[in-house]
Amino acid sequence: MLRFIINRLIAMVLTLWAVSVVAFAIIQLPPGDYLTTYVATLNSNGDRVDPSTIEALRQQYGFGEPFLVQYWKWISGIVGRGDFGQSFEWKAPVTTLIWGRLGNSILIEGLAVFAMWTIALPIGIYAAVRKYSLGDYLATIGGFIGLAVPNFLMALVLMYLSFVWFGTTIGGLFSPEFENAHWSLPRIWDFLSRAWAPVLVLATAGTAELIRILRANLLDELKKPYVTTARAKGLPEWKVILKYPVRVALNPLVSTIGWLLPTLVSSSVIVSVVLNLPTAGPLLLRSLTSQDMYLAGALIMLLGVLTVIGTLVSDLLLAWIDPRIRYGSK
Amino acid sequence: MRMNHLSGLAGAVALTAIVAAAGPSWAQQQAPMLDALVESGELPPVEERLPANPLVVEPVESIGTYGGTWRSALRGGLDNAWIARTVAYDGLVRYNREWDEIIPNLAESWEVSEDSRTYTFKLREGLKWNNGTPFTSADIAFAVELMSEPSYGAGTFIKNPNNPVTVEVIDETTFSFVFENPNGLIMDDLASVNGFTVVSLNKEYCSQFYPKYNPDAEANAQAAGFQTWELHMQDRCSWATETIRWANPDLPMMNPWMIEEPLTGDATRTTFVRNPYYWKVDTEGNQLPYIDRLSMRVSDSLEEITLMALNGEIDFQDRHIATVANQPLFFDGQEAGDYRLGANVPSTSNTLVLQFNMNHVDEKRRELFQNKDFRIGVSHLLDRQEIIDVVFTGQGEPFQVAPRPESPFYDEEFAKQYTEFDPDAAAAAFEAAGLVKSGDVYTFADGTPLQITIDLIASFRSEWVDMMELMQLQLEAGGLDIELNNIDRTLYYDKRPLGDYDAQIWQGDGGLDVVQEPRYYFPANGESVWAFRWQAWYNGANPEIAEEPAEWARNQMDLYTQLRAEGDPEVRSDLMKQILEISKENFPVIGVSLPGNGYYIAKNNMRNIAEPMLHAYLFPTPGPYDPFQWYFAAE
Repeated sequence: MLRFIINRLIAMVLTLWAVSVVAFAIIQLPPGDYLTTYVATLNSNGDRVDPSTIEALRQQYGFGEPFLVQYWKWISGIVGRGDFGQSFEWKAPVTTLIWGRLGNSILIEGLAVFAMWTIALPIGIYAAVRKYSLGDYLATIGGFIGLAVPNFLMALVLMYLSFVWFGTTIGGLFSPEFENAHWSLPRIWDFLSRAWAPVLVLATAGTAELIRILRANLLDELKKPYVTTARAKGLPEWKVILKYPVRVALNPLVSTIGWLLPTLVSSSVIVSVVLNLPTAGPLLLRSLTSQDMYLAGALIMLLGVLTVIGTLVSDLLLAWIDPRIRYGSK
Repeated sequence: MRMNHLSGLAGAVALTAIVAAAGPSWAQQQAPMLDALVESGELPPVEERLPANPLVVEPVESIGTYGGTWRSALRGGLDNAWIARTVAYDGLVRYNREWDEIIPNLAESWEVSEDSRTYTFKLREGLKWNNGTPFTSADIAFAVELMSEPSYGAGTFIKNPNNPVTVEVIDETTFSFVFENPNGLIMDDLASVNGFTVVSLNKEYCSQFYPKYNPDAEANAQAAGFQTWELHMQDRCSWATETIRWANPDLPMMNPWMIEEPLTGDATRTTFVRNPYYWKVDTEGNQLPYIDRLSMRVSDSLEEITLMALNGEIDFQDRHIATVANQPLFFDGQEAGDYRLGANVPSTSNTLVLQFNMNHVDEKRRELFQNKDFRIGVSHLLDRQEIIDVVFTGQGEPFQVAPRPESPFYDEEFAKQYTEFDPDAAAAAFEAAGLVKSGDVYTFADGTPLQITIDLIASFRSEWVDMMELMQLQLEAGGLDIELNNIDRTLYYDKRPLGDYDAQIWQGDGGLDVVQEPRYYFPANGESVWAFRWQAWYNGANPEIAEEPAEWARNQMDLYTQLRAEGDPEVRSDLMKQILEISKENFPVIGVSLPGNGYYIAKNNMRNIAEPMLHAYLFPTPGPYDPFQWYFAAE
């Protein structure tokens, strides 16, 4: 087991290195650079900028240097000093921008994952055990609707309805008076009274998917002889189902935990924009469109790190949940 | 003689009247929120905070009352332009509300030398930064010194390589800008939104980040996590209205409101609070601003901002939300949201400018696009009324790329020439341009096919796609084979020097700011896409692609060079008229329609807001309409 973990850690470092190269290369692929985008933005507002300024900025930021030189500066800063470079657009070190937003992302998306599992598991089990019952059909219909409706549309509808019915604007994570306050009970309450909307929206599509997967897996398992055996031995029905088939049916779900975080971050970009959530998604989107390459690079890197760690965690969980899985022992 | 004497007398009487009226009531008032601070001794009394002759501002409707918070929203954390428009419009001089005159602001007077090279300014006596330290000529000299630094990326008239400037400090409140060559446009620069730049740095605070003044600056920058002192300086002392400026509450300011909650990278709200040292008063001597606070929600969500406005959670805003599509929604919501709509007059002359590339690298296309008859033909094929009806619900009128009706340069003939929908005239014009018809479609005279590709950025103005699709149909009905090429905006810019694009579109800048933004009247700057290589010749940028312009364009360039060096406004405007005359004659670009009025949203109890307002960038609406004299009426 220990050897397995060490092997995986070495592979992780190599993967991250590959991610960093690809991320940096992709960011530089589009025509132009941040400064061309900057000039374009200014012009769209009817503003102009002196060509000599652009030249000075180009020097200041080190554009025009060869790819490898730029990459080396960037990666050595990260590894050596934890310095992710300077965001051109915000004119601030990247590290000052990302941590708060990543924290918000993990909080909101963690809540969404939690909501997803707590809703999906019981419904999935119920739908499988009571196959073709009214409840199963309702869960199926609900699930397909959740899958089919784009998240951002759901967010828009929620915003509209709460405006029309309750006369409130939902958006953001806090009301204005709690925006910059310290954490306290009223602030937590304020947060919860606002966060339900994004959490609900983010959880819907995933919930639907989980229900379907769990139901299908469980249906396969329920027909197997060991279930019949367990039942024949007189175990109570709830124990028969929860102790064995559900555990097995969870395997495919657990093994995809690693992808959950990055999927949530990327699928939540538009929702975050629509609902004005101060998460990493909108920051990433904006930095990509404005070619703010060190900021975008840092975010993509960190998403890569999250994915790799998530995969490791899911592998470990899998080994724990399913004793049949053994590593490296032949 | 007698008349002169009389009017002089009348003037003297009026002056006495003002002095008499001002005398007793001149005891200055301040906002109640400052009373406690003065009592506790944290702030000096208002008379000591104000300069010797504060700028007296005539309120738009009436004297206001103190208090309240003006709520608005930023679209994302990088929407610094809204702050520039609301908080930061304070330069040495400013524009009047009609945008036809430059009036005193931080400078109470100025003089221009005979050769237009030396501009001498006299600052108000006793101006103070919001931390109470004096604002003097030294601060201006420092700003110019820093921005002249070659390695410091700052963009203003200070860095103009063709006409460098130095500052001569005469005394605490008097200084001169001395230019190497005559400069006729500097007053407009200083009065525009960019005028903030030279008055934005406090020497005492900012010099600590500058190696010239502080030998440790470089080391401090490294210690603070910046690679160079320039980046550190930019972070602490941003020279203009950059976003980062609003993230540093320690940076002294001269604006009506100062930073309370900074706009940091992860802020979801930023607030500003009144500057107790603000140097303007109303006609009764009350210190401005009236409104205590500004609170701006930072929201990436346009939907949220729109709903906030509908819900009455925004006190004044036009930026982002006042779109054509939202107008009916906001109109219907006025009663429920307790707000009203006011009119904005846009400064752009046109909803869409079609620019054929006169410097095309392909010989045949260049010849065709330079042919005036060809452009006349295209213009006659456009059914502008149909576009206005379909895309703009009837708002606007057919218009070429010419000064707007509100402008002193307005010329109806220029604005309306070739705008009538007339396929026969178009056919005649194409024939004159040497095109031949093969079947339903025009080809070059030698029979090679003519397909014209028009570049556009759909993400930029969504109505451009609708307009271009209609125009494509109209032009194809007239026999032109048109292809639309929707591209990213960076590619749009990168294509310009290459010169192989047929045509690009943009909006009609320069409808009111005719002199400052002449890009469509002659090849003036990099935005003159229709003659990119000619403007390169004029500006000396990218000499490797520069081409000598046609004679008429060269004449315009000569005239504009004269204009830039001319100190007399009358002569300047005369020169501009000559440039426009040549432009009318040569018809370089094709316009579609005059944009209809925009609108703003203001809560019903918000007063002293001018109506209508001219809306532009250089004239950063609503800044020139003095938001510091807006107030909330008690109800």
